[in-house]
Amino acid sequence: MNKKWLAAAMAAGLTVALSACAADADSDTSSAPASSGDSAACESVTEVTWLNTIKIEIRDQFLGAVDEYNAAQDCYEIVIIDYPQGEPFFSVVTPLYERGEAPVVMTALQEVPDMAERVMDWTGTDLAALAAPGSLDGANIGGKQVGIPVTAEAFGLLYNKAVLDEAGVDPEAIQSRADLEAAFEAVEATGRDALHFSGLWWSLGAHLTNVYHTTAGEDLESKLTVLDGLADGTYSLLDDPKFVDWLDTFDLLNAYTTDSATIADTDYDQGVANLAAGDVGFWFMGNWAEPNLLEATPDGSFGVMPLPTGVSAGDYGNDSISVGVPFYIMIDEEQSTENERNGAQDFLSWMLTTPEGQALWAGPIEENGMNFIPMYEGFTVSPSTYMSQDIAKYIAGGKTLEWMNSYYPAGLQDVYGYEGGQPYYDGVLDRAGYASVLEGAWVGAEKTWR
Amino acid sequence: MKSKLSSFLPQTKRFAIFALIPLAIFGVVLVLPFIRGIFLTFTNWDGFDFDRLVGFDNYAVAVQDDRFWSAMLVTFGYVIASLIAVNLVGFGLALLVTAPLRSSNVFRTFFFIPNLIGGVILGLIWQFIFGQALPTMSDNFGLPFFSDNWLLGPTTAFWAMVIVTVWQMGGYMMIIYITGLMSIEKDVLEASRIDGAGPIRTLLSIKIPLMAQAFTISMFLTIRNSFMAYDLNLALTGGGPYRTTELISLHVFKEAFGFGNFASGQSQAVLMFLVIAAAALTQVVLSKRAEVQR
Repeated sequence: MNKKWLAAAMAAGLTVALSACAADADSDTSSAPASSGDSAACESVTEVTWLNTIKIEIRDQFLGAVDEYNAAQDCYEIVIIDYPQGEPFFSVVTPLYERGEAPVVMTALQEVPDMAERVMDWTGTDLAALAAPGSLDGANIGGKQVGIPVTAEAFGLLYNKAVLDEAGVDPEAIQSRADLEAAFEAVEATGRDALHFSGLWWSLGAHLTNVYHTTAGEDLESKLTVLDGLADGTYSLLDDPKFVDWLDTFDLLNAYTTDSATIADTDYDQGVANLAAGDVGFWFMGNWAEPNLLEATPDGSFGVMPLPTGVSAGDYGNDSISVGVPFYIMIDEEQSTENERNGAQDFLSWMLTTPEGQALWAGPIEENGMNFIPMYEGFTVSPSTYMSQDIAKYIAGGKTLEWMNSYYPAGLQDVYGYEGGQPYYDGVLDRAGYASVLEGAWVGAEKTWR
Repeated sequence: MKSKLSSFLPQTKRFAIFALIPLAIFGVVLVLPFIRGIFLTFTNWDGFDFDRLVGFDNYAVAVQDDRFWSAMLVTFGYVIASLIAVNLVGFGLALLVTAPLRSSNVFRTFFFIPNLIGGVILGLIWQFIFGQALPTMSDNFGLPFFSDNWLLGPTTAFWAMVIVTVWQMGGYMMIIYITGLMSIEKDVLEASRIDGAGPIRTLLSIKIPLMAQAFTISMFLTIRNSFMAYDLNLALTGGGPYRTTELISLHVFKEAFGFGNFASGQSQAVLMFLVIAAAALTQVVLSKRAEVQR
């Protein structure tokens, strides 16, 4: 993954105002072949199954969009196959394949390489051509385009602007770990706790560890070389100064966190409550929490800033946030009919290229939108919340870091979180123990990135 | 020959009428998947399909998984702790509600109710009790032990699981023990009383030996249920903290579906079956010896 796609996403999403007029003419022509079925021309309705609703947070909005699409044409009907939140992807998909009832459309991230043999190649399709350059790389397995991106998500230190204003902290002025500590002190001086540092296994296992993996080298190749070394069992994390910097940052967060942050699964809600109420100034989390925060405090402003791990202001990664594709959309090829695959693509074309679809895809939650950051050319809508604008600023400035966690094999983030992150968080494991859990998790892993 | 055949036919017919359908269902939903499951452990199955046989490779991978053995160890600890605690409580409750009390039927119902609540709901209820209710009460009323969330410490989370298991299974075992106690003939008890045996002596020398069968059944059920515990484990601790309370079923599930290691995960499931079968058979043989033939 490189930064080109982010720039392109920007061009797609943020120059909306400029392209709006031009896009009108465009979208007419592009939506015509997309809905090629032409309402009256279909003899029968084809059912197209879609596994789950991408994310639980936008479930109602997604279901609304499906209803709207189903009502708008009579060739295809999108049917949602629901499965409970938190069930592993494989536990749902493998029985469906076994029964010969594979879902036509699936969304996943770390399981993408495992699905490569069974799903359609997007190469040469209209939507793949519209996707921001580089945004497809994460789902390109051995030259086959296994999936297309849903959106971009960002994680870093979320902050409550009102709290930081009161403490006199300017998030943009925080350039190093020392600056961060000074900011924590300033927040504490206002009588609050500095931050909520979640012990959630997935937050520690995928997102916090990504901050190390994505700053381990200054370009993608050198970051992947670290993964190579780990998979070969030859890489010693404690000998890597970037890893030690990262551990120091972990300790810093641990030292200033509020007591109400724990490793319990309920911690996410506690984090929302703490930051939304202004009981803390910061929370290490991602932009998916913004709707929850705004629900709790509708008139609040919540932004996102980097988690600087380096000691000096100029250290690589100190000024950037982690941005990546959280899910790729895959279409089954093994058990679906051509008609079903066409239907799936027709639905996606409608979502991503027509004005109605785009408004639902990227529009605000209050207006039944899904608040996704658009990853496709020709978008006339983009999210407008405070945090989205913060993210847009980082993207526009090229201040983004890859999600190396998309290269983690399925299940590895569980080991990272449950067996490494949480015991270290609770002080049950020391640095050497933590490093050896992280190293052990990789040994023998398949290098899907090669 | 003819007479044999003539008795064989009606027998077959009777068998067909009463047992064929259940047997067919048993075969289709249990025996066939079980055989297929064992077969899959000898292939390179990836959850979707397989294209070759690999011998015992999956078992080699399965036994090299340290987590598998630590989960096995935790499971054994959990089984032993539950076995003792559930049966003590179940038997104790049975003695209590068979005592001549007017309210004994009400108590029987109350003690049995937790068993009617599914494991997942039970897990969520107790997550709240351990996570919020008890710590809050501890803060306000100075209760010892419960100031911290029990589910966040490895040792306390283990005992939390045992407590909830006892709460759930105690009432069920109580019912079995009640039937055991009721089946003891009154004249034997009367004879012992006339011979001058006190309540404790009667319990140890008369009641327990005469109802040993109830112990065999209860202990077998406790062992089996505890070895196979999954929903409570998932809903209460999720195997946490740090995967220290991950029981064998949850481990096998995670290995297969979480990590996508289907073939070795399935091999671990087969190993788990062998261990449970061995443990349960041993227990039944030992308990049978203690039973008194009447």
